[in-house]
Amino acid sequence: MNSQYKRVMVIDDTHVDRYIAQQNIRKCEFADEVILMESAGEAIAYLNSLTEKNDEIPQMIFLDICMPEKSGFDFLDEYDQLPESVKRHSIIIMLSTSLNADDHERAKNNKYVMKFMNKPLNTDKLKDLLDQIDPKNKAA
Amino acid sequence: MAANFQLAQSNMKNKGNANDLFILQIKTKSDKLINYFLGAYFLIGLLLAGFYDTWLVAIGIGSLSLLAYYSTKVLFPKSNAYQYMLSVVIGIFMAQFIYQMHGLFEMHFFAFIGSAVLITYQKWKLQIPLLLIVLVHHAAFGYSQFIGIDSVYFTQLDYMDLGTFIMHTILAGIIFFICGLWAYHFKKYSDILLKTNSELDKFVYSVSHDLRAPLASINGVIELAESDTSDPVLQERFALMKGSIHKLDSFIKDILDYSRNARVAVNNEQINFQEMLTEITGNLKYMEHHQRMVDIKINVMNELEFRSDRSRLNIVLNNLISNAIRYQDPNAENPYVDIRVDTSDTETSIVIKDNGIGIQKENQEKIFDMFYRVSNKTAGSGLGLYIVKEAVDTLNGRIEVESEPGKGTSFNIRIPNN
Repeated sequence: MNSQYKRVMVIDDTHVDRYIAQQNIRKCEFADEVILMESAGEAIAYLNSLTEKNDEIPQMIFLDICMPEKSGFDFLDEYDQLPESVKRHSIIIMLSTSLNADDHERAKNNKYVMKFMNKPLNTDKLKDLLDQIDPKNKAA
Repeated sequence: MAANFQLAQSNMKNKGNANDLFILQIKTKSDKLINYFLGAYFLIGLLLAGFYDTWLVAIGIGSLSLLAYYSTKVLFPKSNAYQYMLSVVIGIFMAQFIYQMHGLFEMHFFAFIGSAVLITYQKWKLQIPLLLIVLVHHAAFGYSQFIGIDSVYFTQLDYMDLGTFIMHTILAGIIFFICGLWAYHFKKYSDILLKTNSELDKFVYSVSHDLRAPLASINGVIELAESDTSDPVLQERFALMKGSIHKLDSFIKDILDYSRNARVAVNNEQINFQEMLTEITGNLKYMEHHQRMVDIKINVMNELEFRSDRSRLNIVLNNLISNAIRYQDPNAENPYVDIRVDTSDTETSIVIKDNGIGIQKENQEKIFDMFYRVSNKTAGSGLGLYIVKEAVDTLNGRIEVESEPGKGTSFNIRIPNN
């Protein structure tokens, strides 16, 4: 397959937003496989199970901020605890409709977050993302 | 909703703590006021010195008092000790004035003036040092004069008899008590105000997010559907839907901005205009997709440090730049927005100039009014420029508009550098 990424993950509690992300990622051949996660807890558990299977780790994670139980920021705190071998393979993009400047600031200051993007995800934004990162550099 | 509320709360904890900021503002404002008061007290001492030739007392005691106050303030910048020292100093000035005017009864009023001045800090306890000094001073000097010690001045009468003295003390006590009570009440009201504001802020934040999230989802699905068809009729309908969503979304944002500007305490942080403008114009690229993009020229001159409130500046710049894009002239060949920022030590000047459709002379003074819209064709809520004006006012700045229909508009803003 000739998508830019092999595998990306979308973490969002809203069904329609996961659908939008998945459809757009397919449409512009952003990734071969999209892993959809309904909660931060589920995503952490999944990533934890991949410590021995590094090639299955998603190269990019689209993370929603506002989610029940564990927010996107809670996810980042737990992500920090994951073994280096898992973290090394992923970059995180935060997605939100939040207008709170503190959210933007907090996301920007987190070392794992590469970018903060406003919802909804669309093909233009994905293409811009590709322009900004060369996946070949990152894939290592 | 519950999740957002939690998140909003954690955000509140996370931010530079608006409550502390508010309390700091009360303190800073009061401290400034006190500088004037103490200056005036010292001058009054000099003024009174002429009557009985008490220059030595006026200059000596006056300077010692000022020294005591300011050195406490400098030595313990983090503690509130200087406020208690202020209370002491105010008491000593009263004693000094009474002495300088050889017991002129009216000089006793300075105890009451001082007591009233102290209310500004909203701390009833500050009354205590003043009260103690007045008690000790009155007892010691009143008694000394009563037993006939020379050159002790407490009253211009030969002495104050015990009945009068007790009455005098009780009345003074009542005034200190009332001033302390008011200070306590103000503090209580400030706390309630803070709590209400922060709760309302969380509420508005959560509600606006919950309204906008589904809108973004609808928009996303429409964009997907749009890309799946080339039917021009469907395309047009999708565009109309997106237009309405965009309008509703901007309206929610405006309400949020308005509400936050009105209630959130003003921050003082370092501003990086280049970064801020790049981010704003980057986001506008997606917002205004239904229109052709204009050429945005950013010119930040003078890399001096500028301090102000980031979120309010963001509101101002965002609104003005998106207006420039929205009201571009369709006949212009190269629509542009020219943003110039020039910072000096005292203020920053921001000029946002476009070659858009412009504003009629007679409408220019109305554009900053709440809910004013130039025409029904425009997409805005009529809140944008009103919020801009409110935010600029909150920052103690000024905003002016120059515009010529068919040529373009220029907004000139000046904001003090804190």
